[in-house]
Amino acid sequence: MDWKRMSGTMALIYGVMALMPLFVGGTDHLMHILIMCLIWAVVASCWDLIMGFAGIFSFGQVAFFVIGAYASAILALTFGIHPLAAMVLAGVVAAAIGVLVALPCLRLKGAYIALVTFAVHMILEPFLKSDMGRAIGTGGSRGILTIPPMELFGITFGAGDKVAVFYAALVLAVVCSVIIMLVIRSFWGTAFLALKDSAGFAASLGVSAFKYKLAVFALTSFLTGLAGGFYGHYIGMLSTRMLGIDLFVMLMIMLVLGGIGQFPGAILGAIVTVTFNEALAPLGTYRPMVLGALVVVLVLALPDGIIGLLRNLVPGRGAAEPAVAESTAANAGGQG
Amino acid sequence: MKRIIPIVLLLTAILTLTGMAHAGDVIKVGVPLAMTGPYTDTGDNYWKGIKMAIDEINADGGLLGKQLEPIRFDTQEFAPERVMQGADYLVGQEKVDSVHAGWAGWGQDVRAYGKYTAPFFADDGSQAAVDVFKEDPEKYANIFQLTDTDINQATSMFNVLMALPYEYPNKKVVIINADDAWGTGVGDTLETKFKEAGWEVALREVVPYGTREWGPIMTRIRRIKPAIIHVEIVSAPEVITFFRQFMRTPTDTILSYGYSIVPREVVETMGKEADGLIGEVPTAMPTPEAPTPEAQAWVERFTEIWGHQPQAGSWAAYSGVKAWAAAVVAVGDEKDHAAVNRHIATVGYKGETGWWKWDEDHVMRGGGDVPFGHYQVQDGEMVTIFTDPPTRPYKDYKFIKPRWIK
Repeated sequence: MDWKRMSGTMALIYGVMALMPLFVGGTDHLMHILIMCLIWAVVASCWDLIMGFAGIFSFGQVAFFVIGAYASAILALTFGIHPLAAMVLAGVVAAAIGVLVALPCLRLKGAYIALVTFAVHMILEPFLKSDMGRAIGTGGSRGILTIPPMELFGITFGAGDKVAVFYAALVLAVVCSVIIMLVIRSFWGTAFLALKDSAGFAASLGVSAFKYKLAVFALTSFLTGLAGGFYGHYIGMLSTRMLGIDLFVMLMIMLVLGGIGQFPGAILGAIVTVTFNEALAPLGTYRPMVLGALVVVLVLALPDGIIGLLRNLVPGRGAAEPAVAESTAANAGGQG
Repeated sequence: MKRIIPIVLLLTAILTLTGMAHAGDVIKVGVPLAMTGPYTDTGDNYWKGIKMAIDEINADGGLLGKQLEPIRFDTQEFAPERVMQGADYLVGQEKVDSVHAGWAGWGQDVRAYGKYTAPFFADDGSQAAVDVFKEDPEKYANIFQLTDTDINQATSMFNVLMALPYEYPNKKVVIINADDAWGTGVGDTLETKFKEAGWEVALREVVPYGTREWGPIMTRIRRIKPAIIHVEIVSAPEVITFFRQFMRTPTDTILSYGYSIVPREVVETMGKEADGLIGEVPTAMPTPEAPTPEAQAWVERFTEIWGHQPQAGSWAAYSGVKAWAAAVVAVGDEKDHAAVNRHIATVGYKGETGWWKWDEDHVMRGGGDVPFGHYQVQDGEMVTIFTDPPTRPYKDYKFIKPRWIK
């Protein structure tokens, strides 16, 4: 997707989102859904950047989200740091851990990276519940139940004022999305594509796979951790239930539905998936079954995700570009 | 497309008008329970009690002449945003006048539902939930716990283990618990209690849900030969596989399953094979013989409707609905949440076994007419052998030495 269409699509999505409180601002339940759409949009977009564009099969995105959430909550509660600063520091903590995870990962390829990064996800829950976790303030199995909301300019961005939280989440989502878009359209993005399509040739041109992949690990972990911190201060409580398989699967659905390597498809994927999941809630025990069936149908019908469908419906200048995107998506599964 | 739009608009109008006409005649009741995921079984136990209570009230002409309409919400795995979403959906959007949950988030639920005024009944059994309540009792005046805390339940388990008419061959205990808030709370309390009583906690294992292979732990157990093994994992596959692997080469050990005895699949899957296991249920309806004629009638009704004896949580959840309904009748207005909450907190509710009285933390403490029940599986079914506190044998039911103890 070219620069104009990418930014235009993003502007349209976030523009429509920005108007939503005018219609549903008085309904907490719907505002909560919209806020979660924006938070997951950031996480899914980061996952798309690392997996869809950089071709690194990382399964640690939920873990970095939870690390960010806990780090921000602990920093605010234990050290009395302002939630906004705590969020940024939480992003730094998540990025530092991301780099530590990346160092061994970048010596591996494909499924092995998935294994190592998913191991981080698996290790995190017992750690948070352990005596070591309790010592640093995770609350063990109880979790943390008294996280202060963010307060800025006399406004409390907590669960009590969902419209305020929504616009804060919108700012966060827009900033993160713009950063991701700039990375994709920069020399970095070109380098990722080159490394995926022909790693040897790219290296011969002086593209350092190690340097770029390490940087993308750090960046996506930072942004995901930031979103996690925001989540913690908004909800006001955290527990290791966030590391359940449900959330992990939902994020994966967001990515597949939006289109892997089809940014800003992940944003659309997050919005559609969260909305679908809520709309199916009355089905109760049948919800996962129907959701699963819908995903199968949508994946078969829309192999390039929703963004691929939109591209077909509104053909633009860069008719040849889908080939690049397809190459990206195909290679995401083929190389590490 | 042109044909479809008018049809959709017409259907929407009909549904809206039907909903509006319906809205005045009903009282909405929120029911946030796990309908999918690992907690589905416990969610189902609570739902059976809630549905039974609602059906009874509706069959008797409703509450203040209005029918009760349950609005369900799937809490899944109790992720924080899910718990909050449940509160915002049920109370914020659907405007329910009471909420009846079971396991509901172990403290997260107190914060989520404490934002509203509608009475909220939970079965968290968690000191963490009580601690949140204590932060601001006025703000959380609508929160009511149907069972006592993990700490008090574990204390009761310990008391009954010490009161069993059985001479332990040694003073060694093995404690195995799940790595969730409930399992850890019970495991920690038991460890402390046993140590205080001069027992050796020879092994303490914290395991994740999904553990099915017990070989390494069994090897250590067979070396230790403990007098008691306490397993606290509220999930049938884990406790069934543990029992079967233990029985390959059993030691002279009392197997105490605590609250893990409650998933119905445990006795349904193993039947008489499970004979000898002991366990605990808070806010218990003793079975097979209930303590009062009214309670016996309730047990029989439940068994007739659902085809099995009441499980943990069913009676507690049932009583939560009935307690709220009694308060609404006394106040005369289901919308006056503050008065309804005050009535529940100060007057309580007269149930099948006697009076339900919530304490100052709005917790239904074990004891009095609503004690902890301690069971043993006998002849393939759960039989109450003790109630606590005070710790005393229940009617003429006796503890039977398990068949695997020589």
